[in-house]
Amino acid sequence: MARRYDSRTTIFSPEGRLYQIEYAMEAISHAGIVIGARSKDGVVLAAEKKVTGKLLDMSGAKGQSYGGSGEKIFLLNSNIIGGVAGITADANSLINYARQAAQRHLFMYNEDIPVELLAQRLCDLKQGYTQYGGLRPFGVSLLYAGYDPHYHFQLYHSDPSGNYSGWKATCIGANNGTATSLLKQDYKEDISVADAIELVLKVMSKTMDSTTLGSEKLEFATLTLDAEKKPKAKIFNPAEIDALLHKHGLAKKDEERDVAAPVPSDQTL
Amino acid sequence: MDISFALTGKGYVIVAADTTAARSIVKMKVDEDKIKVLSPHLLMAYSGEPGDTVQFAEYIERNIRLYHIRNTYALRPPSAASWIRRSLADSLRSRRPYAVNLLVGGYDTSTHTPHLYWIDYLGTMSEVPFAAHGYGAYFALSLLDRYHDPEASVEEGLATLRRCLDEVAKRLVVTPEKYKVKIVDKDGVREVEI
Amino acid sequence: MSRSYDRALTVFSPDGHLFQVEYALEAVRKGTCAVGVRGKNVVVLGVEKKSVLQLQDPRTVRKVAMLDDHVCLAFAGLTADGRVLIDKARIECQSHRLTVEDPVTVEYITRHIAGIQQRYTQSGGVRPFGISTLIVGFDPHDTRPRLYQTEPGGIYSEWKANAIGRSSKTVREFLEKNHKDEMSREETIKLTVKSLLEVVQTGAKNIEITVMESYGKITSLDLAQIEAIVAEIEREKEAEAERKRSRLAATAAGQAAMSQAAGGSGQ
Repeated sequence: MARRYDSRTTIFSPEGRLYQIEYAMEAISHAGIVIGARSKDGVVLAAEKKVTGKLLDMSGAKGQSYGGSGEKIFLLNSNIIGGVAGITADANSLINYARQAAQRHLFMYNEDIPVELLAQRLCDLKQGYTQYGGLRPFGVSLLYAGYDPHYHFQLYHSDPSGNYSGWKATCIGANNGTATSLLKQDYKEDISVADAIELVLKVMSKTMDSTTLGSEKLEFATLTLDAEKKPKAKIFNPAEIDALLHKHGLAKKDEERDVAAPVPSDQTL
Repeated sequence: MDISFALTGKGYVIVAADTTAARSIVKMKVDEDKIKVLSPHLLMAYSGEPGDTVQFAEYIERNIRLYHIRNTYALRPPSAASWIRRSLADSLRSRRPYAVNLLVGGYDTSTHTPHLYWIDYLGTMSEVPFAAHGYGAYFALSLLDRYHDPEASVEEGLATLRRCLDEVAKRLVVTPEKYKVKIVDKDGVREVEI
Repeated sequence: MSRSYDRALTVFSPDGHLFQVEYALEAVRKGTCAVGVRGKNVVVLGVEKKSVLQLQDPRTVRKVAMLDDHVCLAFAGLTADGRVLIDKARIECQSHRLTVEDPVTVEYITRHIAGIQQRYTQSGGVRPFGISTLIVGFDPHDTRPRLYQTEPGGIYSEWKANAIGRSSKTVREFLEKNHKDEMSREETIKLTVKSLLEVVQTGAKNIEITVMESYGKITSLDLAQIEAIVAEIEREKEAEAERKRSRLAATAAGQAAMSQAAGGSGQ
């Protein structure tokens, strides 16, 4: 009896389709949105957090440059950040795998893993989970934002089937249709990283379910080059996100702030 | 008995190796190529235990090529050298280690700089402006200390190499009669007569 | 209980079918179309390529993969499966060189790929690869172009011209009608483009052409070159249609004249 459920999970339907992959993609289309945009001098990722609450302890995310709240955006290697949409538990295991793959590359070649190669490594794993018996596909799509000397700043997207492709700007998760058309409208070639930040925040504010943007609903990260031309990832902490939103005039009004759950001034302590 | 030299200059690396294949005191041929072209901008001169050298060099060659085909771009010289060193270091800790000494020279097309690495059979690696393996090292290093110029043109670089070869010919008891010389720069690899 | 994982997913049905293999072929039929055509001393791969989306990075949209200096592969079906199979083939190409010093022959690597595909129809707990492949190339020390095809079941075969993927039947029939032996480079490319146009309505921008002329000599045509060929084909079609029309008109006029003459004599 068990066979019906486990070893048959990844087989072709009579029309030649792999339903499990399609269902996994369905799971992702309900997840919080992740938006990425590439510019000539940096890459930007922004993500909508779903797990929020008054009592959620965010102290772990405070004041660390590579912090974030660790739900949607992660540092995969010193030159790559990743944004995930889908089943969080699956995502955690993929992120762990990605970090190991990146370190293995560093160990073997004494260089940061090229961005596309890391995307390929993860896709090979994801593809395996669609072909070998007894496994279900990973219910996760990822955005990889990174830098390497071969192709400079890059943005990739991978889905549960193990496909990947490179993008100038793209998004995954809920409302990705709306966000894509907004990106198409407003993305310009040769924008700077500051423009990319503004673009991503603007699209985010228009596509998120909630009407107001705030650090309790948002994760944000950039990857740029430092003074020595080394890649520098920055995952914003809540206070920095609020400051950024404020700067772009997307922050909440003051009267709303009194009602809203985690008081931002608390988090800046 | 193998002798190999390499030196960097302005935008290039010159790699030279003798062409003698010998066993014990017997010379078997004098047109052996001991410098492998690993990728469009990467050279490797190998010397040491005959058999080991070819076996190891071919293994490296195929794996570097595989990386190139898989990723459409080749490994950059620093990464390639690191990987080669690791392969040798892993081999050293196996049951039957390779006894191979290497000079890896390449041109990094993304940073536009030449790189030269000296690697020995124990897995030691260092990036150097010039290097030598074998008996030639005893005669050449002091000359290279005196005459090497990182800003030298190809002609000047070849002249410096010429000095080293002449000195070996003059002082070494068993001097090789011929050398193969290859240059790698932004245009790739080419062979020159010396 | 762990036995259930070892069990082959592809098993015979009571009437002797391997359904998983047949369903995998369905996946292939959903894939984009790929065409291979052999000429006198050239072999051409043409693939239908999905339009690059506005925000997509065109560099990462690749349909034809190089396996070694002298072998190229195009596939139809599940892209991720294709990538994995290509990687296995690339490893084998270098491994073969390392063991016997010689590069692989095209037949050898085809047989190897088909062998992998076969294994995935029989061994425990795996589904077949949802791809068919076209493999082109030249054998070392040989001037004869080669074209092979593999299928999800692990069958491989050599062809003068063939197509896989979406509407491959239509394209194959077209090729059967129009393929000639000993075609020149230009004729071969043109036939490839022409056959692809049978299924690709959107023209040059959705076609990718790779030409192999001899051992290790591989070129990809750029958009302008393909556009020129498409335009030439359009012109020829136009001229053909024009000829047909004028011929029809001529016969019609002839008939009219005849009937008039007949009518006239009758009067």
